[in-house]
Amino acid sequence: MKTILSKLSILLLLSIFIFSCKDEVKETTTAVHPLEGLIKLNEGYAAGAKVEVWGKKNYFQGYNNLSVVLLDSANTKDTLKDAHIHFLPYMTMPMMKHACPVENPGALAINGVFPGAISFVMPSMGGTWDLGIKVHNHKTGKGGTAMFSNITVDSPSSTVLKVFKTPANGVLVLSMLAPLTPKVGVNDIEFTIHKKLTELKWPADTTFTLAIEPTMPSMGHGSPNNVNPIHYKNGHYKGKVNFTMTGEWKIGIVLNNDTTIGTSANRYFNITL
Amino acid sequence: MYKSLVLGLLILTTFIVKGEKNSWKDTVSLKEVSVSVSVPLNNKEVVDFYRSNEFSTLDNMNARLEGLTLIKRGAYALEPQMNGFSGGQLNVTIDGMKMFGACTDKMDPVTSYIEPTNLKSIKLKSGTNCSEHGCNIGGSMDMSLQEPDEKGGDQTASISYGTESVSNSKNVLFSLGLNKEKWSWISDGVYRKTERYRAGNGLIIPFSQFEKTNLHSALKYSPNEISSLKADVLYDIARNVGYPALPMDVSLARGSLFALEYQRKAITQLKAKVYYNQVVHIMDDSQRDSLYLLKNKPVGKSDSVYMRMDMPGKSSTFGSYIQLMVPWGERNKLTLKADHYTNYSLAEMTMHMRYAGQAPEKPMYMQTWPAMLRNVSGVYAENSSYLTSNLMVSTNARLDYNIDQLDSEYGPEQFGIFNYNVEKVKTNVIKSINLSAQYHFETDLNLTATAGHSERMPTIGERMGFYLFNAYDGFDYIGNPNLMSEQSNFMKATFQVTKPTFKINISPSMSFLSDYIMGITDPGIPAMNFPAKGIRVYTNVPKAKLFSTDVQLMYTPTDYFTAFCLSKYTYGEINEGEAMPLMAPLKNVLALQYQKNGLQLQAECESALSQKRINILYGEQITPSFTVVNLKSSYEFSYSKLSFNTSAGVTNLFNKVYYEHLDIGRIYRPGRSVELYVKVGY
Repeated sequence: MKTILSKLSILLLLSIFIFSCKDEVKETTTAVHPLEGLIKLNEGYAAGAKVEVWGKKNYFQGYNNLSVVLLDSANTKDTLKDAHIHFLPYMTMPMMKHACPVENPGALAINGVFPGAISFVMPSMGGTWDLGIKVHNHKTGKGGTAMFSNITVDSPSSTVLKVFKTPANGVLVLSMLAPLTPKVGVNDIEFTIHKKLTELKWPADTTFTLAIEPTMPSMGHGSPNNVNPIHYKNGHYKGKVNFTMTGEWKIGIVLNNDTTIGTSANRYFNITL
Repeated sequence: MYKSLVLGLLILTTFIVKGEKNSWKDTVSLKEVSVSVSVPLNNKEVVDFYRSNEFSTLDNMNARLEGLTLIKRGAYALEPQMNGFSGGQLNVTIDGMKMFGACTDKMDPVTSYIEPTNLKSIKLKSGTNCSEHGCNIGGSMDMSLQEPDEKGGDQTASISYGTESVSNSKNVLFSLGLNKEKWSWISDGVYRKTERYRAGNGLIIPFSQFEKTNLHSALKYSPNEISSLKADVLYDIARNVGYPALPMDVSLARGSLFALEYQRKAITQLKAKVYYNQVVHIMDDSQRDSLYLLKNKPVGKSDSVYMRMDMPGKSSTFGSYIQLMVPWGERNKLTLKADHYTNYSLAEMTMHMRYAGQAPEKPMYMQTWPAMLRNVSGVYAENSSYLTSNLMVSTNARLDYNIDQLDSEYGPEQFGIFNYNVEKVKTNVIKSINLSAQYHFETDLNLTATAGHSERMPTIGERMGFYLFNAYDGFDYIGNPNLMSEQSNFMKATFQVTKPTFKINISPSMSFLSDYIMGITDPGIPAMNFPAKGIRVYTNVPKAKLFSTDVQLMYTPTDYFTAFCLSKYTYGEINEGEAMPLMAPLKNVLALQYQKNGLQLQAECESALSQKRINILYGEQITPSFTVVNLKSSYEFSYSKLSFNTSAGVTNLFNKVYYEHLDIGRIYRPGRSVELYVKVGY
């Protein structure tokens, strides 16, 4: 009896030493289809090609990542891989007409699609958005435009694009691209800045210095060790934002050290996590 | 109450009294020595002491033990500090079992889940020489649970009731025992309910109430003289515990413990134990006024808001150990021990914000202790040997292998904010080695010298704590995942003189600490909570020193009369000459006792000097001196088969308004209180 008990207790002890190990699960990566998770927003014809516009969700006020797929209209199973594509968004309002910032895709398709972006500066409520996709089909040498009239541009529940006027730089468009799925901890934060030169010309602006000020208005505190976004290409600015807890955060943005117009007024985005 | 001290001294000197030279040579006297460092509460004198104070909490007793002082946050759950060490610097165990509080703000030290009625003895060891149950640097406190006594009567039962006027407290205690052939069983329990207490100036201290229930039961099976199997269950639940010094209270603090033990007491002794315990600690501010005014939302005007904060914590520990005691040769005893525990801790914070007239905001959530598994496996060896009939030398060593495993994404993500690249698994090895020698002179003098080196792991809070508010200095504390283990080189000497009517014990000790862990202000991190003054990050301070000494004197001119005096002093220094925060000033307890024919009268005078050696950076202020006088009387008698014990006393007789240096928030201690107690036993 005694010996059995003592053996049992030794066994128990040993089992505890062993139990802290865990099997590691190997991660496997599979090639993801370029249109995986996207929905088709529009389709039409231009320059001997069927033009499809794909996005994660319907058009919204903000920076829209869009993928254009060109299919040979003679044989729609054949994807075109070489073409020039121009986005021509156009808003008609009672008093005025204007375009908005765009990032046209490159001439060569990536994995069969032409990725680009449009920053819609307002939702459809204030007027009518039309979207033209101008295609120069390098296979046929033809050019043409697919027109999608009266597309719906939604107003997102949380604003991710701001348009404001600065004394030094005129009208600017500030879009927040990331974080899309904010979490407690360190998050990438990305903005684009475009300048309105004319109603139709909204080029990227690469000259700004940005400072971000995340705060929790309900708590009256911010977060430490944020990294101010710096320009890396085509008007895109990347940095890091830190969230110490879930809840409602406000990201104030200061442009060119101009604190007088900094977080006041309109210069912030809300992020809830 | 000073009796525990008397007892401590008595026990410390027991072996001298028994130390006729011949008995020093055999193993029996070795056992006596190993017991001599503990304070066995089943000693007759302590039982007496106990009976007259049975409704007092464990804290009241601890305050009178050698080297111990208490950090106070309210009327409940005082945190033990030994020779200037506290928290993770002390091993607090129950029969060698590891158990950890679940509160990030140290509101539930393990001692708060144990009641004096649960205990048979408390074993204290100081300094690095405390590593029997795990490497540590400050000392250890091992509480042995009450055991079924197979030699006792077939059935025993007692019930008692006590009350204290200052807090209108009601205390009901019971104990039961049953013996049948090879089986024996005991059960004991307490129910306490106290209201807010009154300080010496009549001020009612808000949030100083608590209510708790404690139950302990043990079943023992002894198939023969040398083997036994024992099962323990302990359940302790406290509700509505107020913390006047903190901005939050505790709606629930629940500890439960299950243990199974096998013992074989032959020439070679074997002890094996498997245990599990769990602590759930729910801290919230639902009793506090959480309406405050806030600007800047949503349009910059002042707005009234309601905010509530919940901070639940959970800590569960599963562990086991096996211990062998082998006498060898004529004069040696070897102890070998292997142990392991796995602790899972998680503490969360959720704030609920609601603006007047608006829907509630999305809850704000963080993990203040990110879910973590800590696995510690260790081996320990100790050898005691009589080199001559007067000289005993004892050495011990321990090696602990530690694996910290983060169990949630929150840990690495939250610390990514401070540019830490936190690994999910972190291992390290810590060690401890000690040497002590005890020399008995031909006169009545006994000398003990101990020297050792030990290390300790940073606690979970020190490694991964995330914005933990410290009410003592008003700062938010942040852990440091790269923290190194704290180390100590320790020396202690004990002088004991024992004459028939006079006993003296002086025990100075010195710890030279390196990589001392404390919070250092980081001005680069903005404060988060409204009341927080800033952020402190746990950091390894290169050097620190702690000196501590206790002087105990006992004078017994007649059989009926005893005078006892205890002085405790601790001096702490960080870096070069800077005062270490949270150091109690010189404290003195003087007690006089008269005891005859079941009647016991005692007067106690407790005093402390002013503490002027403070650390202002740490938010400390000068604490004035105080003197408090307590009186106690008890009378014991029997009637038929029943035994009675009645006692009455007055604490803080002169209604002194005071607080001690370690009282966080400088909340006044209770004023004059009349205590009554009656016990009926069968």
